[in-house]
Amino acid sequence: MATNRTGGAQRPNGAPQTKVCQFKLVLLGESAVGKSSLVLRFVKGQFHEYQESTIGAAFLTQTVCLDDTTVKFEIWDTAGQERYHSLAPMYYRGAQAAIVVYDITNQDTFGRAKNWVKELQRQASPSIVIALAGNKSDLAAKRMVEFEEAQAYADENGLLFMETSAKTAMNVNDIFLAIANKLPKSESGGGAGGAGGARRLADGDTPRASSCCK
Amino acid sequence: MAQSQFSPVDEYGFERQDDFDYESYEDFMSMYLKVLATRAQKWAALLGEGKSVKRTNTVKRYVRKGIPSEHRPLVWMAISEAEIMKEQQPDLYQKILDGPFEKELVDLVKTDLPRTFPDNIFFTKEANHQTHLFNILIAYAHNNRVVGYCQGLNYIAGLLLLATKSEEISFWLLKVLVENILPDYYTRTMDGLIVDIEVLSELVKSKVPDVHQHVINLGLPWAVITTKWFVCLFAEVLPIETVLRIWDCLFYEGSKILFRVCITLIKSNRGAIMACNDFTSLAECFKTIVKNASALHCHEFMQAIFKVPGTLSNSTITKLRARFAKQRREQQQKEPR
Ligand SMILES: Nc1nc2c(ncn2[C@@H]2O[C@H](COP(=O)(O)OP(=O)(O)OP(=O)(O)O)[C@@H](O)[C@H]2O)c(=O)[nH]1
Ligand SMILES: [Mg+2]
Repeated sequence: MATNRTGGAQRPNGAPQTKVCQFKLVLLGESAVGKSSLVLRFVKGQFHEYQESTIGAAFLTQTVCLDDTTVKFEIWDTAGQERYHSLAPMYYRGAQAAIVVYDITNQDTFGRAKNWVKELQRQASPSIVIALAGNKSDLAAKRMVEFEEAQAYADENGLLFMETSAKTAMNVNDIFLAIANKLPKSESGGGAGGAGGARRLADGDTPRASSCCK
Repeated sequence: MAQSQFSPVDEYGFERQDDFDYESYEDFMSMYLKVLATRAQKWAALLGEGKSVKRTNTVKRYVRKGIPSEHRPLVWMAISEAEIMKEQQPDLYQKILDGPFEKELVDLVKTDLPRTFPDNIFFTKEANHQTHLFNILIAYAHNNRVVGYCQGLNYIAGLLLLATKSEEISFWLLKVLVENILPDYYTRTMDGLIVDIEVLSELVKSKVPDVHQHVINLGLPWAVITTKWFVCLFAEVLPIETVLRIWDCLFYEGSKILFRVCITLIKSNRGAIMACNDFTSLAECFKTIVKNASALHCHEFMQAIFKVPGTLSNSTITKLRARFAKQRREQQQKEPR
């Protein structure tokens, strides 16, 4: 780690005895639902009224501390427009966690989120932890997707589910924490090597993921 | 930190970031201003009184050294032959803008208006560039139904607008880029983009094999690193003056320039890339190499793109493109989506 170039967020914070686990997490969902905003809130504690549209994908890292474990997320924030879809497998291949985001004020984005869940269930690592985020919960007055409907869908599919707001920060840290808690932190955990499709990205991840808990 | 003589907003209206390095920018500008002065004289002589720009070797050489910003609209139109396109349909732009527009396209474009260069003073709600940008993008989406609206075009059209200050010129330059200069980057399947990323990977493999192997070993696909480079033609990636200098050559010499830029970035930063020993540091490294001093010093950078990559012939690129396009078609036939 001596040559690490990034800022303070990912420095293990000094506690000598904690395990450090690294997990790859990908955000998927229709354009403008708030994927980048959720990441910006989680990583930097900020919100921009006008967040730039993401092209390709953006990479960020953030660390959360559980009781006895430090979990370092390697986050891929992807582009939402449908035509970037063919690039998505590169990002979810080998991912141990995914947050599928929709906008509670837009029914179409919920449909799109369901398609992402299906695709992940088919193509991603079988052990991937999937969370569904109904974002923009601060805009409840314009709500088009009922909480109960999304909750029922999440339950059926074994997904974590929360309504979030990148704007007010509601449930943003919580959803990442919930994922961190659900991820296997045992020696063999991580799930990177599990999937048949876990090529390329996973190749690089595998040695590290399996030795992630020191 | 001394804020020196530079304002917090650059000449194209972008707010300088908190971590903007005024000192190294001052270094750069003190040299670059001299370059600009000589260049302005030469171009003034070349353009003279109302002389038109032809695609000659002299002009090509001048273009490589950079087009003065005040001449960019005219020269880009001429060297890219967008001018000829426009002469064939002089009323096209105005006609499309008479409408009607499809709601779906309008919604798509409108979503991205406030999300394009939000830290540029000309693109705020109060300024008028959002309206111009809407017109360019909506006109193009209706003019070319195969492309429609692809995210990324907002940054290209936005920067064209900043550089030319003309909606209609930006429209024609966008059209010539998408339809004549670049392969199918922006169509629904983005085939041309995916092929060009493979082409780049192959070129890196042959020109800088150790870097290629290292990046593969650390598990970072080239597509992850370079999608935005290709889609945005380095807008929102490299410093703005460097991007415009690249576009000068792009409009004259075509899409081959993009490979030269990619390979230069990779090859000149070989040491930093090879020093990364995990995936995270490598991903971060590719974020910094597009912002460092050598990327900022656009004049040296543009000299480097014609030296550092070594020979790169059009026929090599054509062959590689054909090879990967064929592979892709065969793959798609095997596994229909
Ligand atoms: N009111 C409200 N607005 C939000 C929230 N999250 C994001 N937004 C706004 O929604 C717009 C889109 O947010 P982004 O984070 O850029 O969306 P994205 O999913 O990353 O979009 P792409 O990069 O195009 O795929 C931005 O203008 C945000 O300010 C939220 O929780 N509440
Ligand atoms: Mg985004």
